[in-house]
Amino acid sequence: MKLKKYLTLTRAGIIEALQFRLSAFIMVVGNLSYLIVIYFLWKAIYASSGTDIVNGMTFNDTLIYLVLATALFGFMEMYTVWEMGRAIQSGKVVLDLIKPMDIRRYLFWCYSGNFVVNFFFTFLPTFIAVCIITNGAVPVGLNLVYFAVSVVMAILINYSIDFFTGTICVYTESIWGVNIMKQVIVLLLSGATIPLAFFPDGLRTVVEKLPFASIYNAPLTLLLDSSPNSDTLLETLGMQFIWCVSMTMISRLFWKVSLRKITVNGG
Amino acid sequence: MKRKSLRFYFRIYRKILAQDIKSKMSYRADFIISTIGMIFTNVAGFISFWILFRRFPSINGWSYHEMLFLYGFSLVSLTPVQCLFDNNWSLRQYVYTGDFIKYCFRPINLFFYFQSEVFDIKGLGQFAFGIGTLVYSWNKIGLDFTPLILLKVIVFLITASLIMIALQNAAAATCFWIQNSFYVLDLVYRFRDYAKYPITIFNPVFKFIFTFVIPIAFIAYYPSLVILRPDDIPLLSWLSPLFGLVFFWLSYKFWMHGALKYNGTGS
Repeated sequence: MKLKKYLTLTRAGIIEALQFRLSAFIMVVGNLSYLIVIYFLWKAIYASSGTDIVNGMTFNDTLIYLVLATALFGFMEMYTVWEMGRAIQSGKVVLDLIKPMDIRRYLFWCYSGNFVVNFFFTFLPTFIAVCIITNGAVPVGLNLVYFAVSVVMAILINYSIDFFTGTICVYTESIWGVNIMKQVIVLLLSGATIPLAFFPDGLRTVVEKLPFASIYNAPLTLLLDSSPNSDTLLETLGMQFIWCVSMTMISRLFWKVSLRKITVNGG
Repeated sequence: MKRKSLRFYFRIYRKILAQDIKSKMSYRADFIISTIGMIFTNVAGFISFWILFRRFPSINGWSYHEMLFLYGFSLVSLTPVQCLFDNNWSLRQYVYTGDFIKYCFRPINLFFYFQSEVFDIKGLGQFAFGIGTLVYSWNKIGLDFTPLILLKVIVFLITASLIMIALQNAAAATCFWIQNSFYVLDLVYRFRDYAKYPITIFNPVFKFIFTFVIPIAFIAYYPSLVILRPDDIPLLSWLSPLFGLVFFWLSYKFWMHGALKYNGTGS
């Protein structure tokens, strides 16, 4: 099985990630501060709404949704755009291209070690903490399985979007500008900052059709729904699957076309 | 060493600024894309604000337009840190590579020379956006407009901006001790997003923290009270200009302390 060469990259990634403990610690502080702010902000919003349920979500639901969105962000932020942009600008991309592995896979598996570290050190503790604090508001059952499947697809979709955006760096000299645009669009339209349920109806129907909704909104809604009917389940996962396949193809194709355009300074 | 006059510094700033803009203009595509990216960020921030608060008549006693005022105020007071002190983000690279030493040999103020080297034009879009929001909410709330109020707004905006500048200086200066200050800077950068919420939504503990430890409440909340609630202005609002100056002075001393103990990389 050829999986072994990929897992070697994963292992290297784990070792690398464990080297940067101070940065990880500061990340945790940052996330905590963010959680404190959203906790009080949404508390104030729910207090002034007068009802316990706003847009079909209770305060607990919203909080779990946003807290886990933050934890998921650790998986989603792969810095692919920076990695690719810098490689293209510095010419290092040449070295990546002659590796006996497809560059798209290579970059993904290089980062995969961080998935493991993130899962055990951020996601799992956050998830358990949320379960305890909200006192069992997170339903435990089959929905965890759907959630896991959904997250895997979300990661793949997000990676395709990142890879696509990174490919744009072949044409532009700008990494920061391209990356910030992508980040803003993804965070807003995926429901990572505000659950999509709160969006005004017209906007929501449009946003739900876009690939971004599959990144955060799909897994988190599946997680919060203790007894999903098979229609919504099929629709959400199906939608994710379609985006997963089509975004992979689009980003692959775009890279293939752009590859001919890469110019690297000699010297 | 003779102290240079303010006029001297002003003249020098103009010259350095012109060079910086020229060099930026030679990467035109990057400049345009970054500017668009910045506009994206502002628009997305505004959209999330609108989605969150549009349907609630008031949050914690703050009407929609008053919240908008706070938002606009924070945007404007965060502009100087974006435009004038952007070089702080590069400080760690200069320190790491040893290039920082070049700043130590100029017969002008080290801090001034370092910060003057970069002017981030992108921030001006945010400035325009903030002013627009302020004017709009000003009209909607039906606030008076007299020269005295205008003077107050300007004074409070400028002193409020010093808070974020101070936080960023201090964060950037940590690289003199811990090398990679990116995570500290990024953490502080996230705090600025919280400035737009009224501090009253927090519980006493965090109210205290956000007032005295991480003083983000002085970026928009306390200074805005002078305009928004002229009948009932707490002492802290009047003191906010003083706080701005004190924090800025402290961060300057901290930054200089790090810079003066810097002794290069030895090559």
